[in-house]
Amino acid sequence: MRMRKDNSISRKLTWMNMLVSGAALLLACAAFIAYDMLTFRASMVRNLSTQAQIIGSNSVSALLFNDRQSAENTLAALQAARNVLSAEIYSADGRLFASYSRDAGAGVPAIPSLPVRQVETHSFKNKEVVLVRSILFEGKPTGTVCIRSDLEELDNGLRRYMVIAAMVLSVCLVAALLVSSIFRRAVAQPIIQLAEVAKAVTREKNYSGRAPRTRGSRELAILIDAFNEMLGQIQENEKALREARDDLELRVKERTAELENAKKEVEAFSFSILRAKEELERASKFKDQFLSTMSHELRTPLNAVLGFSELLTEERYGPLNDRQQRYLKHIHTGGKHLLNLINDILDLSKIEAGRLQLTFENVLVPISFAEVADTMRPLADKKSQTLSQEAPADLSVRADSTRFKQVLMNLIGNAVKFTPEGGEIKLSARRFDGVVRVEVRDSGPGIPVAEQQRIFEAFYRLGESDKQTEGTGLGLAITRRLVELHGGSLGLESQPGSGSCFYFTLPCAEAVERPEIPARHRESSASELARILVIEDDRTAALLLQSYLTSAGYDVVLCNQPGRALEMAAELQPAGVTMDIIMKPINGWELLSTFKSDPRTAKIPVILVTIVDQPATGAALGADEYIVKPVRKATLLAAVERCLNQRNNIGKIRPILVVEDDTPTREFVAELLSKRGYAVTTAADGAEARSQVAASLPELVILDLTLPEVSGFQLLAEWRTNSRTADLPVFVLTSKDLTLEEQDYIRLHAGLLLQKQQSWQETLLVQLRRTLPGVLSEKL
Amino acid sequence: MGHLVDTSSLLSGVRRGLLPDMERGWRVLAVAALTFFVTTVLFAQQPKPNEYQVKATYLYNFGRFVKWPEAVPAGKGDSFSVCVLGQDPFGTILDSTLAGEALDGKPVVLRRLSKTQDAGECRILFISSTEEKHLKEILNTLDESGVLTVSDMPGFTRRGGMIQFVLEGDRVRFEINLASAESARLVLSSELLKVAASVKRNGRSGD
Repeated sequence: MRMRKDNSISRKLTWMNMLVSGAALLLACAAFIAYDMLTFRASMVRNLSTQAQIIGSNSVSALLFNDRQSAENTLAALQAARNVLSAEIYSADGRLFASYSRDAGAGVPAIPSLPVRQVETHSFKNKEVVLVRSILFEGKPTGTVCIRSDLEELDNGLRRYMVIAAMVLSVCLVAALLVSSIFRRAVAQPIIQLAEVAKAVTREKNYSGRAPRTRGSRELAILIDAFNEMLGQIQENEKALREARDDLELRVKERTAELENAKKEVEAFSFSILRAKEELERASKFKDQFLSTMSHELRTPLNAVLGFSELLTEERYGPLNDRQQRYLKHIHTGGKHLLNLINDILDLSKIEAGRLQLTFENVLVPISFAEVADTMRPLADKKSQTLSQEAPADLSVRADSTRFKQVLMNLIGNAVKFTPEGGEIKLSARRFDGVVRVEVRDSGPGIPVAEQQRIFEAFYRLGESDKQTEGTGLGLAITRRLVELHGGSLGLESQPGSGSCFYFTLPCAEAVERPEIPARHRESSASELARILVIEDDRTAALLLQSYLTSAGYDVVLCNQPGRALEMAAELQPAGVTMDIIMKPINGWELLSTFKSDPRTAKIPVILVTIVDQPATGAALGADEYIVKPVRKATLLAAVERCLNQRNNIGKIRPILVVEDDTPTREFVAELLSKRGYAVTTAADGAEARSQVAASLPELVILDLTLPEVSGFQLLAEWRTNSRTADLPVFVLTSKDLTLEEQDYIRLHAGLLLQKQQSWQETLLVQLRRTLPGVLSEKL
Repeated sequence: MGHLVDTSSLLSGVRRGLLPDMERGWRVLAVAALTFFVTTVLFAQQPKPNEYQVKATYLYNFGRFVKWPEAVPAGKGDSFSVCVLGQDPFGTILDSTLAGEALDGKPVVLRRLSKTQDAGECRILFISSTEEKHLKEILNTLDESGVLTVSDMPGFTRRGGMIQFVLEGDRVRFEINLASAESARLVLSSELLKVAASVKRNGRSGD
């Protein structure tokens, strides 16, 4: 490797020398040879020309006196010139006069041509030269002489030169080789040494080596000196660098130590932050717990107050006089107000704490409108106000259905409250710029501009001094927060004297054909559900009926083609049928008579739901119930219940177990149920409930969650893991604020979840009838 | 010859693109063929010149190889006289041969003489064979007057004449009596002597 590298530069030098000198010599030789050849040729032509002249002048008389012999004698003299191949003399008229040929038997060549007014010409061709000269005598052309000569002499000369050139070339190359070896010593050697040192430096990073000085060329000496100087500088720099590095290392160590300290401090600090955070979390948990407890502790006694005051008004245990009735009503109204207030405060606290969880679904606006209007209409009716609603049939919003209705109810409640008797309240919704805009417009006195912003604040009440309006002052604040939680905004347009318009926007729902029905029990026990066939060709009306019925726990099948209704009913055998009158192509009257005359459907109860007010016709045709539109939810459900109860038989009675630690509530529920004809037993805590169920299996359990010692969750978990009680129906009735996880758990393991902050009595009774159709001891 | 070269270059032009050897072969062939053709035609076309045509030309050419001394009477005068003594055997041939020619820097004039006395100013005198009987007399009259005497009568040089035409088969040649010429102080070029059929160098042989 090393040898090869050493060789490379000197070999290159040698090659360069050889090439340069070889090329120069070659060129020189070629030039000399060419020049010599040219000269030689010229002299050859000159010789030939002389010979031609001599021959010419010696042949004049022979030509003139036609003496061929004489001419041929003259030509024969050319034998002395060995290079002459042949020679001819032509007469002035171009005839061959005499000829000579070196080699006997050679043919006579062509008559030579001589350019006009030219005495002599020559040409080289086919390895010979031909010279033609005219013979002049006293200025007159007398004939022509032509001599051909070979170029052997020229060739010989050329060959000789070549040999000489080759010899010179080889001698010179040898000389060049010798010279280059001297060069190599003078030039290549120092360079090779320099390269060696450079390589050593690169390999060993040792900058102390130096290239040896040279006696060679000045440039090389400069190069070597510069290289050595450079090495010296690098050596110094490296030393400085090493020192700097050591210094840096020291400083890094110091800095690292500082950082370590800082890190420790930060850790200590973050630990304290962590502790603070834990404390905060604990505090927040306490707050949640407090809220939860408060909601439970406040609502439980109120439920008792409300429940018992309502029971008393029914005069089940003796008649009441007017005053007693009035007082009871005051108690009930006050309690209700207090319950609303508590619900609002808890709602607001939950919202402010960011703990309100929304369940988003696609909500069909006209259905929600109808339900809300149905709920609020009695209030409006009391003040002779018209409550109208208007929304496209397919308009849906992405919202929590319950909270959406709460917002609407709050706004309508406000409108009813502040609009004088006989006023007008209009509920409308439309698609607007990618969102849904919902408006609640009233014909009330309007709101002064100064108050328009403040009314959204908590506890602010319009017209503070005016005591004729009642309310918590929290409604609008909650409403606004709820709308905002939905991603919308609540606004107000109002001018004093010309009514107010509260509006809010909600995101549009993805296009859906069917509204999502919150039928929470359909999956678990669809076959047990009482099925209602709704025959209605108006889609909105059908969906409203479906919504009402589904919320009460019925399995609803819609039929929008009256022509197919009979077949569907015959096949499904529903518990009841609702039927519109004005339908095409078959109207309700015809359909009703068909139903009643077909043995498969004759026994199915039929409820006519129509705007036609002819109950007598309906009864005559065999309708079981007759409801005039607009339909109220309670009316519809009552009618359906009546129809279904006719079909139920009374069977063996097992009691319903009510597990409730709060005595008034326990008594109230027991009273509510026994009043409806159910057998009831009670348990005041979890342990008692556990032993009662163990002793004898009840028909159903109504379970509170917050119980001393053994909680409702615990009981539920125990029963579900035991095969004997795995199918025991359990309704959960609680005033506890449940998280979404808890709600999901209960929905999975219990048949029904009732929360005391909502009106639950009605739902409870409906579900009982649905779940235990056979245990009613008496008709309502 | 010009068109020959043209033809060969044309041929080479036609054959361009073939192998050089082939081309060369073609050219040689073509040149040989054409040469044969042309020479044959030329020789066939040119009629053989008759005897007196040749003799007339020779007569003129003799003037180019002979030097007349300034002193001789024939050398004087403004013209170069070529004379015919006796009956002219050339007819018009000599006239056409000499017309417009010049010798020794003077225009050539042809004169036909009947008397010997008139021949003193002639440079070249052709003595017709009709004067054979008076030959001795004529030659004596011209002695040393510097006149080149030429004749085709037999024995002319033997009898003291300078140049005598002789026939060798078809070929016209001539004999020279150098002594006669030298006595007339004429200088005959060696070239002329070289091509003569024979040269007599010593005196008059017989009369």
